[in-house]
Amino acid sequence: MNSGIVFDIKEFAIYDGPGIRTTVFMKGCPLRCQWCHNPEGLSKQPQLLFSRAACRNCGSCRQVCENEKCTACGKCVSHCPLGLRRIAGTAWTAQALAERLVKNKVAFDASNGGVTFSGGEPLLQWDFIEQVIAFLPEIHVAVETSGYADENLFLRMQNAVRLVMMDIKLADNTKHKRYTGVENVRILQNLNLLKLGNTPYIIRIPLIPGVNDDAENLENTAALLENPGPLVRVELLPYHQTAGAKYEMIGMNYRPDFHTDLAPQIILEPFQNRNFPVMVL
Amino acid sequence: MTERILQLRTWQFNRQHHALRKEDAITIDCYRDKSLPDHMRTALRLKTALEAETPVFAPGEIFACTRTQKELPMIYDDQEWADIRSTHYIHERGTVTNLSPDYGKVIGTGLFKLREQLGDSSYHQAMRISIDAVLDFAARYQGAAEEKGYEEIAHILKRVPAYPAASFREALQSLRILHYAMWCEGDYHNTLGRFDQYMMPYLQHDLENGVLDQQSAMELLEAFFLSCNRDSDLYFGMQQGDNGQSVVLGGMTPDGKNGYQLLSEMCLKASAELRLIDPKINLRVDKNTPPEIFQLGTQLTKLGLGFPQYENDDVAIPALMALGYSEEDARNYAMAACWEFIIPGKGMEIPNIGALPIANIVNAVIREKLADVQSMDQLMEHVRIRMMAYVREAAQTHRNLYTIPSPFMSLFFEDCLEQAKDITLGCRYNNFGMHGTGVATAADMLAAIEKTVLQGDLSVQTLFKALDNDFSGYEELQHRLQYACPKMGNDDEAADQYARMLLHMFAEAVRGQTNERGGIYRAGTGSAMYYIWHASELGATADGRKAGTPLPANYAPSLNIKLDGPVSLIKSFAKPDLREVINGGPLTIEFSDTVFRNDEAIAKVAALVKLFIDLGGHQLQLNTVNRDQLLDAQKHPEAYRNLIVRVWGWSGYFVELDKCYQDHIISRAELSL
Repeated sequence: MNSGIVFDIKEFAIYDGPGIRTTVFMKGCPLRCQWCHNPEGLSKQPQLLFSRAACRNCGSCRQVCENEKCTACGKCVSHCPLGLRRIAGTAWTAQALAERLVKNKVAFDASNGGVTFSGGEPLLQWDFIEQVIAFLPEIHVAVETSGYADENLFLRMQNAVRLVMMDIKLADNTKHKRYTGVENVRILQNLNLLKLGNTPYIIRIPLIPGVNDDAENLENTAALLENPGPLVRVELLPYHQTAGAKYEMIGMNYRPDFHTDLAPQIILEPFQNRNFPVMVL
Repeated sequence: MTERILQLRTWQFNRQHHALRKEDAITIDCYRDKSLPDHMRTALRLKTALEAETPVFAPGEIFACTRTQKELPMIYDDQEWADIRSTHYIHERGTVTNLSPDYGKVIGTGLFKLREQLGDSSYHQAMRISIDAVLDFAARYQGAAEEKGYEEIAHILKRVPAYPAASFREALQSLRILHYAMWCEGDYHNTLGRFDQYMMPYLQHDLENGVLDQQSAMELLEAFFLSCNRDSDLYFGMQQGDNGQSVVLGGMTPDGKNGYQLLSEMCLKASAELRLIDPKINLRVDKNTPPEIFQLGTQLTKLGLGFPQYENDDVAIPALMALGYSEEDARNYAMAACWEFIIPGKGMEIPNIGALPIANIVNAVIREKLADVQSMDQLMEHVRIRMMAYVREAAQTHRNLYTIPSPFMSLFFEDCLEQAKDITLGCRYNNFGMHGTGVATAADMLAAIEKTVLQGDLSVQTLFKALDNDFSGYEELQHRLQYACPKMGNDDEAADQYARMLLHMFAEAVRGQTNERGGIYRAGTGSAMYYIWHASELGATADGRKAGTPLPANYAPSLNIKLDGPVSLIKSFAKPDLREVINGGPLTIEFSDTVFRNDEAIAKVAALVKLFIDLGGHQLQLNTVNRDQLLDAQKHPEAYRNLIVRVWGWSGYFVELDKCYQDHIISRAELSL
């Protein structure tokens, strides 16, 4: 049995679907959204996270390091006297992960909650997730996805879960490529699968100031949702300034090409006009 | 909130009533007469204290009574008190504290009726002097109210507390005076008990007869709540805010009915609107409590006041009955100042007489016995013996108890008037309670020892050297103990089993211990301020905790661990048989204030609370914290005068706390979920 790489497991994830839920963050993502607040979820490989700001340069970590370039072996983690280092990305077998998730079943049952697979992009590790789900009978499973995946794979996912939460970041393909690194063609194809299918879905739009919070983009996005099928609602997630917090920890620079200090506009009318339930998170 | 309430609240928020306080102290004369019996001296001091008060009114005042005297001298001089102390066990300040008086009885009977029942004994004379002092005080307020044009107040003060209250407003004014007088008698941590139960008949009457509508009733309720905050900074407590003014809402009535009613809900809403530290809200729930009530409670939690604290009837009532409380009384439980379960009008209990330092005991046993044991069972047997010895030794010191008599307070307790016997000499229930500190840290130590020493390759010598050096030079070992060992709070049986055993041992250790009044000892999971004290006596510990790191407050995970999340936390902490530790002490969970963004989030937090109740949790208290705000408040206290935080069993103003308590709250905030 192969294993999956998980960079976090969060109990009581409040905004990831109905009821009390545990969210599993799968590592690896094909998109490079400029506003991504989980940069440790981008690479498929385990990575060392290091809180530089509090480091006193005592050198304990260097003494135990045997590599010229970091391989995320994790040896230095236990040698930092301040506990500033950790590895993002743990390999789980499907069975072990399922056992971990089932531990919270009493809370899921009491609140109509369940498990959400997020990321990163969970569809990149869908074979593994399918195995996990096989060990989770009677647990409500949801997926949070960019929608950037092969149609057959997406369909498989859609049939295996009880709720899909999918982003539509930008309606315009050129802009989508500019801000996320990929085109939105596959995403919009998969949106059609959601509209035509039976699985309830939620559309999420991260509102990024000056990027996609304009009336035109939101109008075009709402238009894409017409004849929505089993759409539950649209959720708008205003950009938050703390998004850049983890970049330094992972040795990356946070240099988004938009004004991070502006508050995004919140325009609900395009959705309200079409009677789509909409809420701001 | 009505315009009038807003005005009163602003007046108090700006501390304008402080300007009415007098600088000259109460003169000590009559009550220090050594030839008088002590109950008489208390009565005469109450008379002196009330006579020293000048009636004052806030603009728009609804309920009269404001303290203007800051100090209350003792009935003994220093030498007398030192003599008494040298031959007696004195609990805290030596006065009546932490009781739940039967307000309903006195409000409904009126002081006149009680006075008529008094005879000629010296003790009854003291009761009479006390009653007369309160009635004179009310009469002076009445005169002043008339003079200043507060006609309604004057009209009400003609009736209460002398006669039975006939309306909601009269009942509240009566309660205000009675409660106020208790503080002037020198009693402290004077709780407000099952306020909704004893007040609802008056509200019901007024609503049915058109005297009040719900809005005017709410105004009265809020004015009363405001009055609870007016003098509270003058009341004695370990820290500012620790004044014991708790109310208990909902829960089963003595005859087995559901006590949650309109007034319970109004109290939750009033507390949320006013955002004050008093009264401190407790909400009794059980497995049948509907989600909407938990959601209303969570709306209050969201505000960051540290209210409500939840109590679980399904656990508490049978647990109290198992300790010998009658079914009717067990159903009628209220809370002491913090979380201790007590019985209104029938208990002269001392639920905080001491604290078992669980983490310290386990640490001592590890240091002394670990090298000689072959198994965890053997180690635990040493823990059991040590715990037993600690409890016995503590109980031996609780002999020859003396408490300064309180004839006025005694009017509120069963048979005190009838038998001319002061409450301090005992009542129907005379049990003592012990807190227990650091159970999670103790369980973590044991789990770490099991994994690293007994099952692993760590030598006892290396461990002890690391502990002696506070892990300096042993950072990797500390990391292993701290992060790679099982922890209570992560739903991991490897750690949780020890918490279960430790609490059971604690309950067994107190079982059979009696006090000189025939009362028993009750084990609890509270900490009070002992979490600071016990931690200060503790060096580095086997769970990877460095010396100086505080112990958790109450029933909570260690401060140095990484938590898996609130569901695991709740499951872990519901595992011990909490009926055995019903002296009380809540599981305390800190939530970041970002959790409560919308109604769905509120419903989810409420579902989490319900989960703990359904899994057999005894008591739960949630805090909403914003760490950055707390840090900023330390730097700029002037900007955060009204920032409220939960400390151990009570809420207070953050900037008024000693720094060690502020720091503890900040480190708890780092564990927030």
